[in-house]
Amino acid sequence: MKQATPPEPSQMQPVQANNSVISAQHLTKKFGAETAVQDVSFDVFGSSIFGFIGPSGSGKTTTVRLLTGVYTPTEGQVTVLNCSPAKFSQSDRARLGYMPQLFVLYPNLTVWENLNFAASLYGMGLFRRKRLKEVLTFVELYEHRSKLARNISGGMLRRLSLATTLVHDPELLFLDEPTAGIDPVLRHKFWDHFRELKSQGRTIFITTQYVSEADNCDLVGVQNQGKLLLVDTPQGIRHHAYGGDMVDFSTTEPFDFQAEAKLRLLSFVRDKTVRTGFNSMRIIVDEASTATPELMEWAQQQNIQVQAVEEYRPSFEDVFVELVRPEVSHA
Amino acid sequence: MRNFFRGIIRASSFFRKEIFEILRQPRLVATLIVGPFLILFIFGIGYRAEGRTLRTLLVVQSDSPIAAQDIQQSGETMGAQLTYAGATGNQAEALDQLQRGQVDLVIVEPGKITSTLQNNQQAVFTLYHHEIDPVRVSYITYLGWLFAGEVNQQVLRSFVAQGQTDAVDVQTSLQAAHQNVSAVRLAVQSGDEALAKQKQQGLAGNVDVVSTAVGASLLLLDSVQQTQVTSGGNTNQVRSVLADLRQNTQQLSDSPGSSDERLARLDKIDQDLTDLEGQLAEFQSIDPSIIVSPFRSETKSVANVQPSISDFFAPAVLALLLQHLAVTFAALSIVRERNVGTMELFRVSPLSAAEALFGKYISYLLFGGAIAAILAVLLVFALHVPMLGNWGYFALVIAAILFTSLGIGFVISIVSQTDSQAVQYSMIVLLASVFFSGFILSLDMLWEPVRVISWLLPTTYGTLLLRDIALSGSDPNWALLGGLIAIGLVLMLISWRLMRRLIASSQ
Repeated sequence: MKQATPPEPSQMQPVQANNSVISAQHLTKKFGAETAVQDVSFDVFGSSIFGFIGPSGSGKTTTVRLLTGVYTPTEGQVTVLNCSPAKFSQSDRARLGYMPQLFVLYPNLTVWENLNFAASLYGMGLFRRKRLKEVLTFVELYEHRSKLARNISGGMLRRLSLATTLVHDPELLFLDEPTAGIDPVLRHKFWDHFRELKSQGRTIFITTQYVSEADNCDLVGVQNQGKLLLVDTPQGIRHHAYGGDMVDFSTTEPFDFQAEAKLRLLSFVRDKTVRTGFNSMRIIVDEASTATPELMEWAQQQNIQVQAVEEYRPSFEDVFVELVRPEVSHA
Repeated sequence: MRNFFRGIIRASSFFRKEIFEILRQPRLVATLIVGPFLILFIFGIGYRAEGRTLRTLLVVQSDSPIAAQDIQQSGETMGAQLTYAGATGNQAEALDQLQRGQVDLVIVEPGKITSTLQNNQQAVFTLYHHEIDPVRVSYITYLGWLFAGEVNQQVLRSFVAQGQTDAVDVQTSLQAAHQNVSAVRLAVQSGDEALAKQKQQGLAGNVDVVSTAVGASLLLLDSVQQTQVTSGGNTNQVRSVLADLRQNTQQLSDSPGSSDERLARLDKIDQDLTDLEGQLAEFQSIDPSIIVSPFRSETKSVANVQPSISDFFAPAVLALLLQHLAVTFAALSIVRERNVGTMELFRVSPLSAAEALFGKYISYLLFGGAIAAILAVLLVFALHVPMLGNWGYFALVIAAILFTSLGIGFVISIVSQTDSQAVQYSMIVLLASVFFSGFILSLDMLWEPVRVISWLLPTTYGTLLLRDIALSGSDPNWALLGGLIAIGLVLMLISWRLMRRLIASSQ
């Protein structure tokens, strides 16, 4: 998408890939006796998408508000674009885009007027109609631009909210559940756009309840009950959830128990194996890429006719449940 | 410079937003224009500058020296305030009718009037009513005072009328006195001392009768004349004529002197009698009501216009309405942003408190100004409220009222947590304005320390300034206008600081 208004020059360092754009160190936020976020530390690098996943009430929105300066941390430190959010100048703020979890614009204004308001809020120049049209077209709301916000659906409100966040083409975006209530086709389009923004050098901090969306992120933080369980790449998170990679191993003949016991004794196979049928089982291995040829070799030695050996990528829903389960049972 | 223009753009976002939001509520706009216009219009055609008519029952005493008719007449002369509902001798029954609401007022005539007066005390008419409204109670008290005055005048009129009737007998005595003077003169000229002495005694008797009879009546007239002392009135005329008359008549008997002296004295007596006749004729020709109530008052204004009641209230209604409009819109403005959640967006955005407030001030000033312009045109050209002053000054005062009222509204809005809280605070400001701004009660009727509240309200300034401009045609009182704007500036500063804290502060 073409940039309508270049971001204001900032006193801060320009964002570069591999530079830490957001740095949270031991962030804790308490509301009275209740702890919403506890000892959270992570870094977000320039030109990347950082996904923040977790169940409802896990502290995702509180974390976003701590990063944007809406909240002040009870403990810990946060720097965004090398500056404390509490000390942001106007030009610093102009480099940010923030999409809150709920629609917070004006129901008595039209779609166009709401977007125009947001554009003015960021000081965009008077010749901005083209940019407004571009953004509205992207979120598929241009045809609905004359409708009052109170008369459009919840999904359309989310799209309008995203449009108001993108309209000034910010360098760093904080998107709090931008795809909630959006149909899968449009959600896919949104992610395509986020990746395009990333390729243009933008940095995106995104929270979502759709854990499957974590696959679109460069780094994923998994948050539960206010604590950050881990930060890793999507693949790393899967690996961590199951203690290794998963490989589906199937044979032409039924697999007997003696062979299964021998298989478990292999050095690259983890303790956990699951039978998925008479002829098949799912095996957790250290590395799927190296384990696959070794499994083929082992089967040949054991005169077992192999039907297929392939890596299994569990859905992120399953990964998330696996990760959160010990926390829940512990709680 | 670039940042300045960006600031202007940010402020303008609120200007457009607020105006669009208001215009999306056409009923609200129509109500703001038509409502006050209709109120003033209906008030103008419905207001009657008359006191309430009270159905009045008289309780008369059986031994009363005052005729019930006279009392009734006294009530009737007071105009439409009292309607005569009858007379009764039974006070308990009259009070019972009052309790049942069949009559509004019971006037009880005092008993034993003669003995009360002889004891050098005033007799008291008692007025019974069942009002609880302090204003109406004051009205009835005032009515009672007027009623007693009317009865007193009725008594005096009867007394004067009786004096005028009696004056006919005095005229007879005066004519007899004239005849005796002529007879004495003839006797003196002819040297008939015995006849002269006899007629002198007759003259002395006539003078005694005249002195006694004329005194009461003519001295009343004389008292009236005495009140004109400052305008050179003939004071003590009757009194001195009577004194001369008695003295000359007495000297005519006691030390007659020479014939010439006696004739000269007789001429003087004759002249005094003629004067008295003239005075008496004058007394008889004057209406007893004039003698009893010789004075009345008339009021004439030197103001440029005599506004009707609705004209007089029009500037106050306009000031109050604009204040309430501005306070309410501003009071809901920021608290609504907070409740909707946009404040969170503002905190993250480059928007400053000054830009947000500036945008809101401008939008509401323009909207309020447009409403004020339409209302002012309707008032002047449809309701014919006088507009004697300068429209420019009028607009300046309107802008000052709106500016200061918006300050009150924004402070309310920032300290309120909910819409209903903001509305409640706005209503308190409205209520305070109704009672303390001089809208209903004159500021002079308020205890001075309480007037501090009055001088904090834009309506107080607005009412005085708009009345001066529209109804008196004068320039605005610059001290008042300066005070109003100064309060507005202080409120703007306070709201800016509060808004800054609201936007900047993290939780």
